Amino acid sequence: MTGYALLVPELLVLIAIAWGLFSSHLPGRDRGAAYVGVVLVLVAAVAAALATAGQTLFGGALVFDETARFARVGTLVLAAVWLLWTAGRGEGRTREATALALFATMGALLMSCAADLVTIVLALELATMPAYVLVGYRRNRFTGLEGALKYFLLSLLTSLVMMYGLSFLYGVTGTTRLSEFDLSTAGTLGLLAMLLTFVGVFAKLSAAPFHYWAPDAYEGAEAWSVAFVSTVPKVAGAVVFVRLVAAIVPTAPIGATMVLIAAVASMVLGNLAALTQSDIRRMMAYSGVAHTGYLMLGAAGITAAGYGAAVFYALAYAIPSLGLMLLVAEEGVTVDDFAGFFSRRPAAAWGTVIMLASLIGIPPLVGFFGKLYVFSSALAAGLAPWVVVAVLTSVVSAAYYLRIVRSAFFAVPAQERTPLASSPAASIAILACVAATVALGLAAGPLLGWLGI
Amino acid sequence: MLSWIVFLPLLGVALCALLPKSQAHNAKWIALAVTVGDLVLASLMLLRFDVAASGMQFVTDRAWVPQAGIRYTMGVDGMSAPLVALSALLTLLAVVASWKIDKKPAFYFSMLLLLQVGMNGVFSALDFVLFYVFWELVLVPMYFLIAQWGGPRREYAAIKFFLYTLLGSVFMLIGIIVLRLQLDTFSLTELAKLGPTLPADVQWWLFAAFFFGFAVKVPVFPLHTWLPDAHVEAPTAGSVLLAGVLLKMGTYGFLRISLPVLPEGFASWQFAIGVIAVFSIIYGAAVSFAQTDVKKLVAYSSVSHMGFAMLGIAAGTAAGLNGAMAVNISHGLTTGMLFLMIGMVYDRTHTRQISELSGLANQMPVIAGLMAFASFASMGLPGLSGFVGEFLSLLGAWQSTALDAWLVIAAVLGVLFGAAYMLWMLQRVVMGQPSHVVADQPDASIREIATVVPLVVLIVVIGVYWDALLRFTDPAMTALAKVVGG
Repeated sequence: MTGYALLVPELLVLIAIAWGLFSSHLPGRDRGAAYVGVVLVLVAAVAAALATAGQTLFGGALVFDETARFARVGTLVLAAVWLLWTAGRGEGRTREATALALFATMGALLMSCAADLVTIVLALELATMPAYVLVGYRRNRFTGLEGALKYFLLSLLTSLVMMYGLSFLYGVTGTTRLSEFDLSTAGTLGLLAMLLTFVGVFAKLSAAPFHYWAPDAYEGAEAWSVAFVSTVPKVAGAVVFVRLVAAIVPTAPIGATMVLIAAVASMVLGNLAALTQSDIRRMMAYSGVAHTGYLMLGAAGITAAGYGAAVFYALAYAIPSLGLMLLVAEEGVTVDDFAGFFSRRPAAAWGTVIMLASLIGIPPLVGFFGKLYVFSSALAAGLAPWVVVAVLTSVVSAAYYLRIVRSAFFAVPAQERTPLASSPAASIAILACVAATVALGLAAGPLLGWLGI
Repeated sequence: MLSWIVFLPLLGVALCALLPKSQAHNAKWIALAVTVGDLVLASLMLLRFDVAASGMQFVTDRAWVPQAGIRYTMGVDGMSAPLVALSALLTLLAVVASWKIDKKPAFYFSMLLLLQVGMNGVFSALDFVLFYVFWELVLVPMYFLIAQWGGPRREYAAIKFFLYTLLGSVFMLIGIIVLRLQLDTFSLTELAKLGPTLPADVQWWLFAAFFFGFAVKVPVFPLHTWLPDAHVEAPTAGSVLLAGVLLKMGTYGFLRISLPVLPEGFASWQFAIGVIAVFSIIYGAAVSFAQTDVKKLVAYSSVSHMGFAMLGIAAGTAAGLNGAMAVNISHGLTTGMLFLMIGMVYDRTHTRQISELSGLANQMPVIAGLMAFASFASMGLPGLSGFVGEFLSLLGAWQSTALDAWLVIAAVLGVLFGAAYMLWMLQRVVMGQPSHVVADQPDASIREIATVVPLVVLIVVIGVYWDALLRFTDPAMTALAKVVGG
C-alpha cells in the first residue's frame, strides 16, 4: 500500500465517526454505532498492517515507518477492544461515546506518524480534546465534572507550555521538520526550548514531576472512560515521545539527563504513591506514572533499540491495563469491590491474575518482555544503576497489584452482590486482552521485528 | 521426553479447570494420574540416563524469540536429572498427602500441578530466559497455595514469600541481561564456555547479582526471614514442596550457573559464602532450639541444613560439590518426610505446639516411629541419607584451600547442635504420657503410610549405598570442581 492509500485506516475511522454522529438517523439502536465501529476499526487495523514501511506523505509531515505501523495497528486493535466492550455494556449515549473515542483514536493514529511540529500539535489536540468529554461523560455527576474540568485545564496548560517550547524550537532551528533539527549551536535558547517542550510532553505522558493531574482526573471519571483514556493513546504517545527525543537530544545531550531524571522520578514516585491507594482508578493512575517511567528509561539511553523498547513497552502496558480497567468498570472501583470476585467469576479472576502478573513483569507474559527489552537497552547504554532502581520499584509494584489479587481471591464481600448480566461482547473484549497478554509474550519475536530491534 | 515431563502437569491443570463444580472433588484423581505419569516418565529418564556420558542428555532445542536470541532449550545432566526425579516424586506424595482437601479442590490440585511445571522446568531449562520463566512461574502457584489453604497468617506469609523471592530474582534478571550483552547468548552451555573469559571485576558484579537471586531461595542468613513464615502458614503439601524442591532451586542455581559461568567471581566470593554458610548452619540450629512450634523448628532447621549445601558449594572441591548435591536430595527427602509427619499429627490434634504434644509413641506408635526415623535421617545419622551430604560437604570444605579450618570446625559444631535440638524435640513429643490432644487419636492410615514409604526407602538406600546417587552427580561435579579450581 502506497501513496494516499496509506490513509485508508484514517478514512475508515472517519466513516465510523460519521456513523456514530449520525446514527440516530441510521438503522440500529444506541449500541449499533459501536458495533459498526468495531468492524470498521478492525478493517482499518488490517489496512494499517498492510502499509509498506518507509514512506512519507505531505512532504515528510507524516512518516510511515515500521514504528508508525506498529503503533497504528496497536492503537486500532486496542480501540476495537474498547468499542466491543462498550457495545456490550453501554449505559446510554453510546453513539456519542463511540464518536468521541474514535476522534481520539484518529488523533492517536496521526500522532503515530507525525514527524513535524505542526502535525504533532494538531494530532495531539485531536487525541486529547475528546478525552476531556469522555472523562466528564456523566453530566449529572459532580465529581465527574470536577475531574473533567481539572483534566481540561491542566491538559490545556501543558499543551500551551509545550507549544511555547515548540515555538522556541522553531525559532532556534528555523524548521518544523523533526528530521532537520539541530540544537548543537543554539545555546541557552535551545536548552530552554528543549526544557519547555519536555515539560509539556512529560505532563502529557503523566510522567513525574508533572503527573499530579492524572489521579484526580481519573478518580472523577467513569472507569470505562479511564479504560480508554489511560491506555489506547499510550502507544502513540510513546511514539511522539521517542521521535522528539531522537530529533532533539542527539544534538543537545543534556536532554538525555532530563529524560533520565523524569524516568527515575516517575518509577519511584508512581510506585510508592500507588501503594497507598484503595481506589483502583487512582492506583492505576499512579502505576501508569510508574510505567511511563519504565518506558522513558528505555528511551533515556538515546539508542534505536531503546526507542523500539519504549514503544513496545507502551503496548505491553496498555493491553493488560485496558482489560483490567474494563473489569473495574464492571465490578466497582475500589479494591474492596473485588472481594469475592473469584467466587462470582472464576475465569475473569484468573484473567485478572494474568494481567496483573504481566504488569508486575512475570514471564512469559508480554509485560516481562517489555521490561526485558527496556532493561536490556538501558543496560547496554550504561544506565546500570538506574536499572537497579527500576527493578526495585517493580518489586514494590507487585505489592499493590497483589492487593487486588488478595481481595479477589481471599476477601469476603461485605454484602451479597447480584451477579452482573452476562454480555458476550464485553466478555470477548476482556478475553482478548488476556489472550493478547499471553500470546504477545509467547510470540514477542515478530512484534520486535516490526520495531526493528 | 523432557518436555513431556515438564508439561504433562499442564494437561492436568487444564483438566482440573474444565471440571464442572459438582465434580470438583474428583480433581485429586486427575492430579494423582498426572503425577504418577510424571514420576513414571522421570524414572524412565533416570533409567535411560547414561551416567558415563558427559554433557547434556535428552536435549531439545528450538528457536523461541529469535530476534532476541531466546531459545527453547531443555536438557539434563547428572546435576539436574536427580532433581527432576525428586520433584516428580515429592509432587506425587504431596498430592497423596492432600487427599482430604475439600476446600476448592480443583483450584488446589491445579496449583500443585502448576507448581510442578515450574519446578521441573527450572531443573530442565538450558536457556537462561527459559530458566527465568520457570523460576518465576513457581511464585504464582505457591502464593496461592499459601494464601488460600494456609494457616491464620497466610495472606501475610504469602505476600512476604512472593515479594522476597521476586526481589531476589529481579537482580538475577539484571545479571541475565548483562551476561547477554557481554557474551551474546542466553544458552547455559554456551555461557559456561564463554563466561570464564569475562574480566574478573565483571564476574564479581554478576556473581553478586546472581547471589541475591539464588541465596534468597536457598535461603541463607540474612535473606531467610520469609521462610519460617511461609513454612508455618503453608499447608502440608506446600511445606513439603517448598522445603523439598523450591529451596533446591537456589543451590541448583549456584551449581548450574554461578560457579561454571563465573569461576573468577566465585573465587573472590568463595570465602564469604563459606562464612555465610557456616553462620546459617549455626544460626539455624540455634534458633531451632528456641522454637515452640514443631513446624517452625523444622523450618529453621532447613536454614541450617541448606547451610551445609552452601558450605559444600563454597568448598568448590569435587567432594564438597557432591556433598552439596547429596544434601539437596537428602534434605528434600528428610524434610519432606518431616513435614508430612507433622501434617499427620496436626490433622489429628490441630496443634503444633511442642508443649501440647507428648506421648505420641504410646498413642500412635507408627507415626511416632516414622517421625523418629525422619528426625534421625535429618540429623545426619550414618546409614541414612543425611549423613552422606554432611560428611561430603565437611570433607570437601576441609580439603578446600579457600576455606579456613575453623570454619569447618564451627560447622561440625552445627552438626552437634542439629542432633541436639532434634533429639530434644523428639523427647518432648514422642516420649512421655499422651497429652489430652494426643489421647484417643488413631494411628497412621494405609494412605498415610504409603505416602512416606518411598521416602523411607530412598533415605535408607542413599544412606547405605551412596553410589546410587553419586554415580549421577559425580561426573558433573568433578568437572565443575576443575572449572572452579577445587
